[in-house]
Amino acid sequence: MEKPKVATVWLEGCSGCHMSFLDLDEGLADILAAVDLTVTPITDFKDYDFPEATLGIIEGAVGNTEQLEILHKLRKKCQLLMAWGDCAVFGGVNTLRNHISTEALLTRGFIQTESTVDGVLPVHQELPALLPQVLAVNEVVPIEIYVPGCPPSPEAIAHALQEVLQGRIQRMPSGILHFD
Amino acid sequence: MDAIANISLKIDGIEVMVPDGLTILEAARQNGIHIPTLCHHPALSAWGGCRLCVVEVDGAPRLVAGCVTPVRKGMDVVTSNDRIIEARRTILEFLFAERNHYCMFCAVSGDCELQDLAYEYQMDHLTVPPLQQEFPVDPSQDDMVMDHNRCVLCGRCVRACRELVGDSVLDFQNRGGQSLVTVDVSGQLGGSTCVSCGACLQVCPTGAIFDRYRTHYAVKGKSKDWVSKESFCPQCGLLCPTVSVVRRNSLLRIEGEMPGREPDRGQLCHKGRFDPVKTTGPRLTEPLVRGDDGTWQKSTWTAALDRIAGGLEDVRKNNGAQALFALISSCCSNEELTRFQQFITTCWPEGYLDTLDGRHFRTLLGAGSLIPEVPWATMLEADFILQVGVISSQSHPIITSLTRRAILENKTKVAIIGPENPIGPWASFHLPASHEELLLTVNAICIKINPDLATDPAKGTLSHVGTKGFADFIKLIEDSEKTLIIIGEALTEIGDSAVIKRLVDLAQFKSHGASQAPRLIILKPAGNSAAAWSLGVAARQSARNQLKGGLICATGEDGWDPVLIGTPGNLDFLAVLTPYFSETLARQASVLLPIPTWMEVDGTYAFADGSGSRFKRRVLTPPPGVGSVEETLTALSGRISTNPGQPD
Ligand code: SF4
Ligand code: SF4
Ligand code: SF4
Ligand code: SF4
Ligand code: FES
Repeated sequence: MEKPKVATVWLEGCSGCHMSFLDLDEGLADILAAVDLTVTPITDFKDYDFPEATLGIIEGAVGNTEQLEILHKLRKKCQLLMAWGDCAVFGGVNTLRNHISTEALLTRGFIQTESTVDGVLPVHQELPALLPQVLAVNEVVPIEIYVPGCPPSPEAIAHALQEVLQGRIQRMPSGILHFD
Repeated sequence: MDAIANISLKIDGIEVMVPDGLTILEAARQNGIHIPTLCHHPALSAWGGCRLCVVEVDGAPRLVAGCVTPVRKGMDVVTSNDRIIEARRTILEFLFAERNHYCMFCAVSGDCELQDLAYEYQMDHLTVPPLQQEFPVDPSQDDMVMDHNRCVLCGRCVRACRELVGDSVLDFQNRGGQSLVTVDVSGQLGGSTCVSCGACLQVCPTGAIFDRYRTHYAVKGKSKDWVSKESFCPQCGLLCPTVSVVRRNSLLRIEGEMPGREPDRGQLCHKGRFDPVKTTGPRLTEPLVRGDDGTWQKSTWTAALDRIAGGLEDVRKNNGAQALFALISSCCSNEELTRFQQFITTCWPEGYLDTLDGRHFRTLLGAGSLIPEVPWATMLEADFILQVGVISSQSHPIITSLTRRAILENKTKVAIIGPENPIGPWASFHLPASHEELLLTVNAICIKINPDLATDPAKGTLSHVGTKGFADFIKLIEDSEKTLIIIGEALTEIGDSAVIKRLVDLAQFKSHGASQAPRLIILKPAGNSAAAWSLGVAARQSARNQLKGGLICATGEDGWDPVLIGTPGNLDFLAVLTPYFSETLARQASVLLPIPTWMEVDGTYAFADGSGSRFKRRVLTPPPGVGSVEETLTALSGRISTNPGQPD
């Protein structure tokens, strides 16, 4: 039987969730034996024309137009989506900027920082524009499985993967669920 | 007496019998059935605001709040089913979405009732988009921060401040989701009438009120590693029960025991809650000896003890044993106090033994020995409270809260004579008497009430005597059936025994003669003053001789006062037993010996109102290198000749 294909993406996040995934150590071997990891930031995949996958996994919130596009594409290609971490699930620490206008934010960051000389705003057609507010992934597309945590513990990630590989889609159990 | 269980109802299919008047929540809890709550707190009145405690009654479509719905005979209550779980989870989602509940940067994550509920109800995502509203943060208070972004408007803080503390600093403003907990006139905690008791902090179920100490992960670790130790605070004679949260011998926080005993209902004052958690100066962990060049040198215990024995022996040789003194803080336990007393009677019976607060004791002695007092609970029975010389934010901050509760709950009238205190605006009268005016004022009152009470009228006149206000004030005392007089430390400090004598007589007179104990409370400056005084550690007479050298045992809570030992510059030798290094000590002493803090010793302490004493187990282990008072004095006695010859 063909192994289920899994794609993972990294949107507005710190890589902590993927690090936590790698923290599964020898548990990784079991997971890699059970699935076919097609696209992942760990493989430094840059072309987001995903092959179809059973499961798409998202780390990070949605804060710019590129992330928005990736998320929509992923949704189209995957049967199931799993959100990893507080950024993807709730918006997380990125939402700290939601009370500040994008102009003020960029001006502060690229022009007014104390160490900056002759700064310019990074505006270019190749650069994705910031969204006015950072969004949780389920504010953009429907999500089937949620694994919050900052980062989610390896146990939480393993539990969620095992469940979905067994065909079960459930809420995170109380003993494993955590937000910090 | 327990209420009779006479109401039968069914909870989750189980027949239970409970007393009438209980709520569904109380009935369930009595029977070990769990109903989640958020705005409810066992020490506070029920509010019914959050609806987390919803249950199904008789299968009705509308769920009811268990914490405010009374039980009824024959009721059929279901505490959990799919729709109840769904309702509770929805409430939680709304609470999380309404304000900022990004736990990863919250001071109380891992120790938050809201978060625990979200875990319990498997709220692994939100189905409503976060509102991304921004609310103010109030960092103006020294010990606590109020972050309205984490507030769930449960009102516990508002009720705690009003019901437990009697302070009503907090209230709500605005409506619905825009509501804010507000702070009286000033709008922020700093500079408000808040007495920094932290009751609101303790009952807040979220990170909306958090303290400034030990909140970093690296310090506090995970809540599963915490140990809660029951103890009490010996910093004043109220001996409030406490729960200390400790991680690996480091104190994270102190909470009151809630719901607590009467009359204080489990609150703590700022001293009890925050002082032990703050760093009180650099900790001394090895003996320090002043070198010939005046600088402090680390020393071994042996060398330091030898130096003390030698230094004191020199004083004795040059000036006689009468020039030696031993002073101890009345914050020390009975055991430490008696050991100290034993030390001086063995080593230098002619020497001078006193407590750091001895002058307060002698003032009282001047007004008559063994002045009987009433329990603190009397404050909530009095119809009139006269506070004289009470600086209530200092020795007994809880006096403020008990007084306010008396005013709020019993419409008790309060009058203040002497310095300003936080009761100020709530009092019916305030006669701001200076030192000199105190006797005149109290005399004037006594003359009006009963001329026999002022046998030797003091000379002089007072501007406020004879005013309409003063006449009203006298009328208040005359009309009062249960006058309680509280004598504060400002009065014992200045040493005016005559004023105290008058007040004791007045209390006696108002308590209808000698048949009843006079309604009188005397505030004592330190936590164990009552014991220190009755054990005879405080001197009945101040030192008659020029003191030249000695020993001080100071715990750091009450500081130490060089005035007590005359001009410190005149001392030939001073050794201090102390947990902390301080600049004052560094200027005066020749040797510093490290002792444990009160959190680190087992010991007995006496209630200020004479109602007995309590034994306290230590909450922390002292750092290595620190010697107990007992060990230190034993080692020192061994070095001091107990049969000294005459001075050379
Ligand atoms: S108050 Fe509680 S639920 Fe809110 S962010 Fe802090 S830990 Fe999380
Ligand atoms: S610290 Fe005490 S007095 Fe101040 S607001 Fe809180 S409960 Fe009220
Ligand atoms: S500050 Fe805390 S206790 Fe007060 S209403 Fe908000 S959440 Fe409740
Ligand atoms: S100092 Fe007194 S009132 Fe304050 S907590 Fe300690 S025992 Fe209670
Ligand atoms: S706990 Fe009952 S309504 Fe809040």
